Amino acid sequence: MIELYAITDHPGPPLPDVGPLNAVATEDLAAVCAPTSDGEVSPDALWRHEDVVEALMEDRDLLPVRYGTRLEDESAAVRAVAERYDELAVALDRVRGAVELSLRVLVADEPTQATRQEPASGAEYLRAKTRRGVERETAVRILHEPLSILARASLQASPRSPSELLRAAYLVDRPTVESFVGLVARLQSVHPGLRLLCTGPWPPYSFAER
Amino acid sequence: MTDKVLHAPRELDSFAGDLPRLENALSRRIGADPENVQRGLAQLVLTVVELLRQLMERQALRRVDSGTLSEEQVERLGRTFMELDKRMEELREEFGLDEEDLNLNLGPLGNLL
Repeated sequence: MIELYAITDHPGPPLPDVGPLNAVATEDLAAVCAPTSDGEVSPDALWRHEDVVEALMEDRDLLPVRYGTRLEDESAAVRAVAERYDELAVALDRVRGAVELSLRVLVADEPTQATRQEPASGAEYLRAKTRRGVERETAVRILHEPLSILARASLQASPRSPSELLRAAYLVDRPTVESFVGLVARLQSVHPGLRLLCTGPWPPYSFAER
Repeated sequence: MTDKVLHAPRELDSFAGDLPRLENALSRRIGADPENVQRGLAQLVLTVVELLRQLMERQALRRVDSGTLSEEQVERLGRTFMELDKRMEELREEFGLDEEDLNLNLGPLGNLL
């Protein structure tokens, strides 16, 4: 069995020294893979996968392959890439020269789950829901929209918890990352009532397929 | 991991709620023992229920906004949704599911909720 890490250009720079990697070429694309002993699925293995993809990302453009993508052997990898060649080539062009940055925004003074009080009445429950809806729309307008201008592409995901206002991913040109982070810092100082967490640069997981 | 933080608020703890998710998400993929199957089914059913609950709640919020409901009606509506919300939370807890688990990735269509 082999495990896939990324689809990259072929030929590319030498593979980083982070394990027994091999680049299997199909025309001008290559699938970077490594032999794997079947079985182990764990957070540690996931982070190792992520380390490999990030090491690759340092000096090349790539489409990251999700952790746990395994194929029989290298000829299966060639077939898999050949079958979706056009789609993969277009997708790789789309992320070329860019990385993914992630942004999450929470309300700063939100009580934790343990100390949260139940709304005093049904009407208050509905009012709180409406307020949160308005706050989320506002966060999109004052944060997501200006940041999207600096990004090549952006995506919003639905908030995961009641106190989360915004969860978004941005495809940002490598030279623009610094000014993007600068804008995040400025937006944070203008809006002390919010908590902005920006992470990256990540492989463009959110923009690898459309 | 910390080298990935490009900008963080002074108080980072509030973002830590997601950390246990990784372990859970991975462990659930392994093996199809009866408990996992039951949980998978519960997850699917609760996802549909949650979708309906959210749609109804949004509809209710619109009606409240339009101002055509009496105070008593608004209160009753609010109570109902509050109870539903609480009940969903209890069910989620019972099956060890997070809010995020009650969502489906519909591929090119994005997420269900």
